[in-house]
Parts: sequence; structure tokens; C-alpha cells
Amino acid sequence: MFNKYRLNSVLILFSIFSVVIFSELFVLQVLDNEENAQQIENQNFEVFYIPAARGEIFDINGNKLASSILEPYLFLNLKKINEDNKKTYTQLIQFNFKEISNSEIEEFFKSKDLFIKIINLSQYDPEIRIRLLDFEAFEVFNLPTRFYPYNELFSHVIGYVGNPNKDEQNNFPNSINNKLVGKTGLERYYENIISGTASEVIVQNGNIVEIKPSVSGKDIQLVLNTKTQNVVKESLQEGIILANKNFETTNMIERGAVVVQKIDTGEIVSMVSLPDFDPNQFVLGISEFDFKQLNRTQAFNNFAIQGLYPPGSVFKVVAYWLALNEGIFPETAINAQDYIDCEGSLSFGFDDGSKQVYQDWKPDGHGKVNLSQAMKQSCNVYFWDIALKIWRTFGNTDSEALLQEYSKQLGFSSLSNIDLPFEKEGVVPDRELFEEWTISRPELVRPEGWLGGDLMNLIIGQGAITTTPVQVSNAYRTLLTGEKSSPFISLESSNNIIEKINISDEFVKFLLDDLNLVTNPGGTAYRSFQIMGDQIFDIGGKTGTAQNAGDLNNTSWFVGVDSISDPKYIVVTVVEEGGSGSAVAAPISRRIIQHLRESELTPVEFGEITE
Amino acid sequence: MINRKITLLGPEGTNLYVIFQFLLFNVISWFTLFNITSELSFSLENILVRQIIFTILGLIVFFFFTYIPISNIISLSNILMISSTLLLLGVLFTEESLGARRRYDLGIFDFQPSEFTKVVFVIFIANALSKKNNNFLTIGLVITNLLLIYIQPDLGTTVILLLLVFFMFFLTDIKFKNIVAFSLLTFIAFFVLLEFNLVNTFQIDRITDFYSNEVKDFSQQQSRLQISLGGFLGENLSNTSNIDIFVPVQTTDFIFSSFSKSFGFLGCVILLSFWSIFGFRVYSLIIKTESNFEKFLLSGFMILLYLQIFINIATVLGLIPLTGDPFPLLSLGGSSIIAISSIFGIINRIFIENNLVI
Repeated sequence: MFNKYRLNSVLILFSIFSVVIFSELFVLQVLDNEENAQQIENQNFEVFYIPAARGEIFDINGNKLASSILEPYLFLNLKKINEDNKKTYTQLIQFNFKEISNSEIEEFFKSKDLFIKIINLSQYDPEIRIRLLDFEAFEVFNLPTRFYPYNELFSHVIGYVGNPNKDEQNNFPNSINNKLVGKTGLERYYENIISGTASEVIVQNGNIVEIKPSVSGKDIQLVLNTKTQNVVKESLQEGIILANKNFETTNMIERGAVVVQKIDTGEIVSMVSLPDFDPNQFVLGISEFDFKQLNRTQAFNNFAIQGLYPPGSVFKVVAYWLALNEGIFPETAINAQDYIDCEGSLSFGFDDGSKQVYQDWKPDGHGKVNLSQAMKQSCNVYFWDIALKIWRTFGNTDSEALLQEYSKQLGFSSLSNIDLPFEKEGVVPDRELFEEWTISRPELVRPEGWLGGDLMNLIIGQGAITTTPVQVSNAYRTLLTGEKSSPFISLESSNNIIEKINISDEFVKFLLDDLNLVTNPGGTAYRSFQIMGDQIFDIGGKTGTAQNAGDLNNTSWFVGVDSISDPKYIVVTVVEEGGSGSAVAAPISRRIIQHLRESELTPVEFGEITE
Repeated sequence: MINRKITLLGPEGTNLYVIFQFLLFNVISWFTLFNITSELSFSLENILVRQIIFTILGLIVFFFFTYIPISNIISLSNILMISSTLLLLGVLFTEESLGARRRYDLGIFDFQPSEFTKVVFVIFIANALSKKNNNFLTIGLVITNLLLIYIQPDLGTTVILLLLVFFMFFLTDIKFKNIVAFSLLTFIAFFVLLEFNLVNTFQIDRITDFYSNEVKDFSQQQSRLQISLGGFLGENLSNTSNIDIFVPVQTTDFIFSSFSKSFGFLGCVILLSFWSIFGFRVYSLIIKTESNFEKFLLSGFMILLYLQIFINIATVLGLIPLTGDPFPLLSLGGSSIIAISSIFGIINRIFIENNLVI
């Protein structure tokens, strides 16, 4: 039964509690108010920050690509050092750590920090640590160290860390106390997620009164595959060596990039850019000499997202799509199946009276070609005819920029929004851009402005157009799926808007069949893929060879598709000054596709020079 | 029970006083948190935005319980107790944070099952006492839950629940010698645990340090100074210069300290008066209702709320060692607000069923 009288006694007990609390509050707030306010003004806290451990980075199979190792470090509390005990501490350090020189010890005492880092204790007997902690000015704090187990392999994707500058301190507040910020790559892109909050050691008159623990950064899961990354890097290196052997170029051929993308999701399976660097060098501080040397070779550029190259014939796929979608074919052809005569050159007159002759890469011509054959043999004349048709139909009207609109649909000249920083967007030229350039960059354009010849250059991926390998990869993916979305490396990526593009299944099948022709007998990449035997009938691609200004060698491109029956991967390879796409980029891609199909790997061999 | 018409504010005869009181405490919390951050931004990171969202969720829970007849709660009491046990078991398998396993990480906010256990304890014990079914299973479940919270480790909540059990038993006709026996048993159990090294020495050290050292804990020292800064009228009314002072866990365990700084002695008197008025209204309901279950339930809830308030203020004032208990409806924290909303909802229901209406 409920006892009412006992409830009353509880009530009385609680009333007594209240009285105690109120009297304590009254004393504190009303009677001692002034005195305590004075005491607070005399409080002077100082804070020492211990960096938080950055989140670790894992590949799709759980391999650790970037780790944070916590190790104990000995610190000296400088507030507790005075003239009397300075000598004792100097001797203690000298005695226990022979490798610290006397001048270094002198430097320690000059520091203006609250605590100064003496040495990493992990290599020493724990006894030393216990003994030293008996002296009040010694403290031990755990400090994280960034380590990249695969050294150079992921340098551009993962990036590196360093001391934050003013701008970085403003943009990434955590970096101030961590004294570390992601400089490039994923380390930069996910800085806010991965960095964590530094621990705060609160010190009053030299005594530690409170230690607020740090909050470690979040781990990041990637979709990259380390095995593939290894094969891709090897293949690209082999290809570059071959290119140097076979071409006599003024410059060393040393730059290139490969992107391997999954078609269904858009995830990046592998991304390599050469030359590369070892991000571990930055952890302990890199020498200025080494830094400048790496910088000279452009090793810090991720050419997969920052390399701006004219795409050459790999861009023909845009005109291919336009032709089928709009029904625009060369003047003499009725449909895609209809043949035209390619005599190796095209001469024509424009409305303004000028007459020009355009020379195909094959001087004797490709003979009879239709759209599929033009793709297979990379016939320029067929595509120039399409450009002329566009120019004659829409030139100088509002619909003039038809080809540009189609290329923008596929993501050219805009950021792919991959989860990496400092991506470049490139340009797709049109009349407006040329007019703009006449004022801002007159050295790039002729005084006549935008002409039909510029459109003819554009349709075969030459002239002012520039693209990045990742844009090309994503454009092919968009054409094969009908979905445009951002490629991504990490599962943290939030750019997951999918834009539907009107592409029919029929078109995809047609395109796949024609891409397949490129690696088949008679196709530009046949020689490079021959070694794969019957498998070539299930592989496709497109070669590209883009001319460069001056005496620079051509840019070598290949876009591979694996497979035709079940499209899973796109492999985009670029070798700067690598010459013909079919000779260098195609065999590199072939070795990567062998890996993706789990076939036996054969060395990269120099292919046939076309285009 | 009379069949009641359902209206927007609850079943017919809703007592507006309880909801008013509930909202008032919440709004006081908003103002206190605003004084701490003094920034307005609409992101989930902002503590004020979070607290307002918790209040809205709390209101939903409040009305949910207002619509549930007390008879249903009686029949649910065993299921609630078992689910509390399971939740406390599950939390032991979560990732450790700050040296304890206390919460489930639900993305934007954490769920702390021990807050749920507090409410369930009152319901379960009230049911057991009113039916006099003090069999072994009942006692076993209570002890299991206490142990599970204790090993999280969460000494503060364990002590509050032990005191709650003690007071609720005290309210029955149980003889004094049995109460003494109960207390002795608890003490013996504690020392047995100590002997077998099952007690987290860190927590015991904190207690022994507290009573042996002349110097108070750093955070308590700081919070005393902060309370003192409030003066009689508080910082907001008395234009004193804003002095910042470092106090840890300002928004949760030590929120009373910031409240006192902002609103002064007067503010503290007003806040605690509201709690007293609320207590007296519920007291009159305890006297009026004829159901033993409701009597135990209401007194249990009030004892739980007041114990939390007393222990929280005593901690902040440095009168007892650090416990880490929140101040009901003032501290930032979703689990605590939701749990207390359900208490207010049930109290409101009992007011309605007893036709005590304003």
C-alpha cells in the first residue's frame, strides 16, 4: 500500500536539499560575487594543441592506403624550466638520448612554446619513459604520423599533407591546431572529414589542469583497386619507355595518365598520372631542392584531371552521336550506312571566297567509307563532310553551335566534379569564345574570328579544344549508359546527381559494334590488340592522335571499352607527346584490359602508327 | 474509464498546465543555449537548432503518451523492462567513446538507452509495488539493469537509479528494519564487487579524491566561479562586462552553471520555483487519485526528476563528486529530452483521467 506519510517525509527531505542549494547559490552569487570576479580576471589559461590522428584511407579490398600511427613523444614543459633546474634537464636529455646534440638542446630552451617536442620515444626502453616522468617538466604526449604504405602508387589520388598557409587556415579551421592540412588529392578534398579536432592541453601557471581529448578524423573508404592501380602504372611506364625508343623527340616523353572507370556506377577503379612522387617525403618535411626538382618535372600535376589536351579522334564519338541523332551525314550520303568516297583530302570553298584543302592522315584515302567505317579507320574526311554539312545548314545562325551543344551534353568544357580538388575544365571553342579571346588572348585567334575551318578542326578533336582524360572517360560512359553523373573515388562523395540523357538502347548497340571494329582486323588498334586472340571480338575502343603546335610530338590517346557484350570498364590512356594513339596508348590500354579480364598479361608492345 | 472524445490537444479535458510547464522548461533551455553559442545558423551542427528539433520530437512523444490510457501502460510494463534490458545489453557492443559504451550512434544524434531505462524503472517498480508481486524475476530484472548500466561504466546513473529504487520502496508500508536491511545489502554488494576488482577504480578514485583533497576538481572549481559571475540579476540584466571563463561540457552536464551566469540568483530561484510548483500540483494529484499504481508512478517520476536536479546542481556547485548527469529539460541532449517528454505525457494523462483540469 502507498504510504502518504512517508511521501511527506520525502518531501521534507527534498525541501532540506533545496535550502542547502539555495544557501550555497546565495553565498556564491550574491555575497562572494565581487571577489570571485576578481579571481577570474587573474586566471590565465594557456592552451597547447596536440594534433588529432587523421582518418585512414582504404581501397575497395580494405588495403590501407594512408595510415595514422600514434607514437609517444617526450615533451619538455618550458614553463617549469628555470635557471636552477635547466642544467639538470640538459644532463637528463644528454644522458638518455645521445643523438641529440648540445646545440639542439640549447634550441629547445629558447622556444617560446608551452611544450617543446624532444624525441620520439617508441624506439626506447619504456623504463626511460617511466624514469623521466618522475621529473615534473617532462610530459609524454602521443603524436600521430601520416604514413603512405604504397609510396608513389597513389600519390596523385591521395595527395599529401603539409603546414597550412593563411588561406588554408581560413578555409579549414581544424588545420590551425592540427598544424597540418591536406594539400592536394583526397587529403585536400575531404580535409574537413578526415582531419579531426586537435586535443587541448589547458595549462595554468605551468601546470596542466585539464586535457580535452582529440577527436580522430573519419576513415575514408575508396573504390580504387590496388591491384589494378599497380598494373596500370606498370603498363603506362612500359608504354612511355617504348615511345621514347621509337620516336626521336626533342623532349623526353615522360608524362601520361590513365583513368579506369566502371561503366554502371561511374566509380574510378584506378587513376594514375606520371611522373609521380612519394607523399611520405612531405611528412617529415621535403628539402627545397627535391621539391623544386619534382615541380620541374610537373610531378605534382594530376594529368588525369588537370592535363588539358586536344582529344583528337577520340572526340569523333561526339559527331558520331550527333550524326545519328540529328540525321546529319555527308552531303552525298543519305544515311549512316551509305558510303562516300574518301580520296585522302578534302578541298572546298567557303562563302567568303576562300578555298582550302584538308589532308587526311592517310594520303591515299580510305576508299569507300560509311559512318561505321569512318570510326573504324578514323577517317577524317567523312567527319569533315559532316562539319561542312553543319556549317552550310546552320552557319552564322543561332543553331550554329550544334556540335558544341552535343559535346557540352557529354560534359566537355565543364568540371566532371570528381571528388578531387583543382580539377580543370578545358574548353570547347565556339564563336562567342573566339570573340572573347580576340580581346583577352589575341595571340590564340586569327583576326577573322570563328570560321568553318575551326568547326572542321573541332569535329576531329583538334584546334582550340582541350579536354582532360577524366572528362573523356565520363563522356564515353554517358554515351554508353544514357546517364550523366560525376565520377567518384570515395564512397563519401556527395555529388550523386544523375542527369538522364536521351540515348536509345539501339544507339548504344550501334556504337558498341563500331567501337569493336576499331580493335578488329582493319581497325586502327588491331595491331595492338592482335595478341589477345579471339578476345578482340568482345573488346572495343577508339584511337586518338592529336597534333600539337610547334615541333612537339602528337598526343597519344586511346579509349578502351571492356567488354562489348557486357560493358563494364572504360580505360582512357593519354601519353603526352606519345605520338600515334594506335602505337602507344592502345597497347598500354590493351595490357590493362588483359588485367581487367583476368587474362594473362603480355608486355606492352609498340603498335602500328596510324593517323 | 470514461470514453473520451479526442481533440487536437489530447483527449477531452486536457490539462493545459502540464504542456505549458513542459514548453516553458524547453524555452528556458533554448535561451540558455543561445547565451552559450550566441550564433544563429540553420545547420544541424548548431546546438540551438538541435535542441529545438529535440523539443519538437519531445512534443510528439508528449502527445503520444497523452493518448495512451494508463491501463495500457500497466500491461506494457514487463515488455518495456525487457526491452530496456536488451537495449542496455546491445550498447555494450557498440564502439567505445570517451572511455565508455553508453550510446547508439544514429547518425545525426545519439541514443542513450540508460535515459529510457530511467522511465521504464519507475513504471516497472510502480507496477510491482501496486500488485505486490515482489518475486525473484522482478528483483532480478532490476538488478540486471543496474549492473548493465554500472559496467558501461556510468556510476552517476547507477546511483540515481539505486536512490530511486530506495525511495520508491520507502513509500510502501515496508518496515524500517527492511529498509535498513536493503541498504546494508547494497553496501555489502558494493564491497564484494570492490573486493573482486569489478569496480572501475578510476571512478572510485574520483570519489576518494573528492573527499580527501582540499583542492576541488578543476571543472567544478571553474563552474563555481562561473555561477558566481551571474550575481543577483544575472549577466543579461545587469550589464556587467562579459567575462569568458572556461568550463567543460558547458552545454550538457554543466549547463546549470551557464544558466546561473546568464540569469543570476533570481533566475535560479525562478527556475527552481517552477519545478516546485510543478511538484506541488503533482503532489495534489497523488493525494487525489485512488489508484495505487498511479500514486507510485507519479511519486516515482517526481523523485526521479528531483534527484536528477539535485544531483546535477550539487555537482555543478562542487558539493559532491562529478557524476555526469544531465539537468532535466535544460541540458542539451535528445535522449534525455525524449525520456522526460514521455514522463510529462504520462503525467498529463493521469491528470486527464482524474478530471483534474484547468
